[in-house]
Amino acid sequence: MSFPPKFRLSFAKFPEGGLILVILVLGLLLTIFGGSVQRPKFQTLPDGKRERVIENGVPAFESVNKFLNPQTVIQIAKDTSFFAIMAVGMTFVIITAGIDLSIGAVYALAAVAGALVMSPYGPSGGGGAVALGIIVTIGMGTLLGFLNGAMITAFNVHPFIITLGTMAIYRGIAFVQTGGQSIGGFPEGFRQFVRWEAWGLSVVPLIVMVIVTIVGGIFLAKLAIGRKIYAVGGNETASRYSGIRVGRVKLLVYTISGLVGGIAAVLSLGYYGAGSSGDGQGYELNVIAAAVVGGASLVGGKGTALGAFLGAVILQMISNGLVILNIPQNYSQIVIGLVVIAAVLFDQFNAWLANRRLLAKTSRIKKEVVQAGDVPVSITPETK
Amino acid sequence: MIRKISLTVTSLLGLAAATGFAAEKTLVFGFVAKSNNNPVFQAAKSGAEDEAAKLSKEKGVNIKIDWRTPNEEDPQKQADAVEQLVNAGASGIAASASDANKLTDAVNKAVDNGVPVVMFDSDAPKSKRLAVFGTDDIDCGHKVMSELAKEMNGKGVVAILAGNQNAPNLQKRVQGVKEIAKNYPDIKILDAFYHKETPQDAAAKVEQVMQAHPEITGWAMVGGWPLFTDNAIKWQPGTVKVVAVDALPAELGYVKSGHVQVLLAQQVYEWGSKSVDMLYDKVVENKNPPSSFVKGDLIPVTKENVEEFGKNWEKWLPKK
Repeated sequence: MSFPPKFRLSFAKFPEGGLILVILVLGLLLTIFGGSVQRPKFQTLPDGKRERVIENGVPAFESVNKFLNPQTVIQIAKDTSFFAIMAVGMTFVIITAGIDLSIGAVYALAAVAGALVMSPYGPSGGGGAVALGIIVTIGMGTLLGFLNGAMITAFNVHPFIITLGTMAIYRGIAFVQTGGQSIGGFPEGFRQFVRWEAWGLSVVPLIVMVIVTIVGGIFLAKLAIGRKIYAVGGNETASRYSGIRVGRVKLLVYTISGLVGGIAAVLSLGYYGAGSSGDGQGYELNVIAAAVVGGASLVGGKGTALGAFLGAVILQMISNGLVILNIPQNYSQIVIGLVVIAAVLFDQFNAWLANRRLLAKTSRIKKEVVQAGDVPVSITPETK
Repeated sequence: MIRKISLTVTSLLGLAAATGFAAEKTLVFGFVAKSNNNPVFQAAKSGAEDEAAKLSKEKGVNIKIDWRTPNEEDPQKQADAVEQLVNAGASGIAASASDANKLTDAVNKAVDNGVPVVMFDSDAPKSKRLAVFGTDDIDCGHKVMSELAKEMNGKGVVAILAGNQNAPNLQKRVQGVKEIAKNYPDIKILDAFYHKETPQDAAAKVEQVMQAHPEITGWAMVGGWPLFTDNAIKWQPGTVKVVAVDALPAELGYVKSGHVQVLLAQQVYEWGSKSVDMLYDKVVENKNPPSSFVKGDLIPVTKENVEEFGKNWEKWLPKK
């Protein structure tokens, strides 16, 4: 099956179009096959309180589609947000052909640092305590990311090794600081802000996720430093010869990865109400998977913030979708694993196809040059 | 891209067809235990499913268990699972909190949305949950020391293996052990020894303490951590008496070999079955449990009944 040239062209201009299509197809399937569910019916009183609706003396229920209802869609978006935010940072790292295995531990240690700062103020803590907590959490994430980048560039060791080590170190520090216990009891204003609901839906993590994606997208696509990040991942040696300070670029991407880990940790503290050394265990794999499904190439030079966001949405939709379809949850790991492998294979297939097309085009041009004798022929790829 | 889309569509169509689309009128009780990797929660799952099947038959309603337990302990995923269950229209939820702080808001949200929540094993005491079914920890400590004192004929030196020193439930068990030890003037409590709650750390702690204090003649283990590994006990059977909490399959071998005299088994199967009963009573009969704390008994497992008790695990663990 092949699309007409016009259609193919639109995908070339907007590579994430395919991911959006996958999300739409998944949504459609879940809407059709998820079926409906009975939920207790509520009404909002004039004073803003909610109460169960009673009809004919018994509590009333309403039938809603299992997937296509505001609560479920926002729930999926909220569950996605923590991973998607970190996946944007991970994409920066992967574009430079790097990897950050410590992101789950950064998330945990940043959360623990913020929790230890805010907890003594208790639920009655004011704006100052909240501001301090947020600064410490994000600052800690950024510092840990910076340390990763500094070690990778200073020692010239593969990021896999350095971040594997810091993954254990950061989590160990979090454990030592907390004694393995959960730290809660934060200022109520902070909790209420992060859990703030519009029409009964928690939207703050979702809004932050969108902002991080937009800022990340602009950074990569519109700023000079963004182009340098792609250049380093595309060909590090050539980048160095062309005057790009490769070490600084690497330092920056790991710092950004830590920064977004800190942002996700702030949301986690506010939404779930506690921080512990066990937070984010194994999340690095989900975050890397989201970036890869979103189109980031592990060999570097490729990936977008929007792709990372959409990749995280796809993985979360599959995870929640299997539950909606009443399929035992353990299958979700198998399906997600298959999707990640399929995405990487697809990426390789795409690269092979593009290479083949380029070779075919080059040989065609060569033939034309030979046939035309000495007449010069442009070898610029034709545009449609 | 086409391949990716068709792969997704085909797999989802297949899965949907396999599970059937028809929405049945059922009571769905969601379960969120701490982790799938712990056999005690597999026993709770069997208990919940068996009780749901039994009640469905007896009461003429279709009760289904929706098991949403993370594979590894993950409080964030637990809170998400409770929220997902509410959205999926669960009639009731039973949970065992990995982190009570993180589960409290999710439980409250479920209750505010008309979904009753009961806890088992590990409580979220500040939440709006209906009740908790589990062990009375002070009483558990009392029983551990009473059994140990019996085995030691009321004299000797006892060490307490106490797990994480910040865990409130374990502190209560240690307190219970010390309270009963006071009744035995010839028994000396050496100390409570804390450690990271992994089998390896616990086994290492026991070995270190035994090397430093060879005078120890009894161990009061308020959790069975070192016994989850083979070869954790180095002394000759019977030379040092041991009473421990829980009776997981791995622990039973130590009773058979004579290294451990008594295991006090928590009612792990009942964590599931009793939770289903409490939810059914609330949702269908609108009846609350008699108290917000429903105490689970501790079953002593000794050399006499270890074979018989071991057969329970054949029923409780999922069939391969």
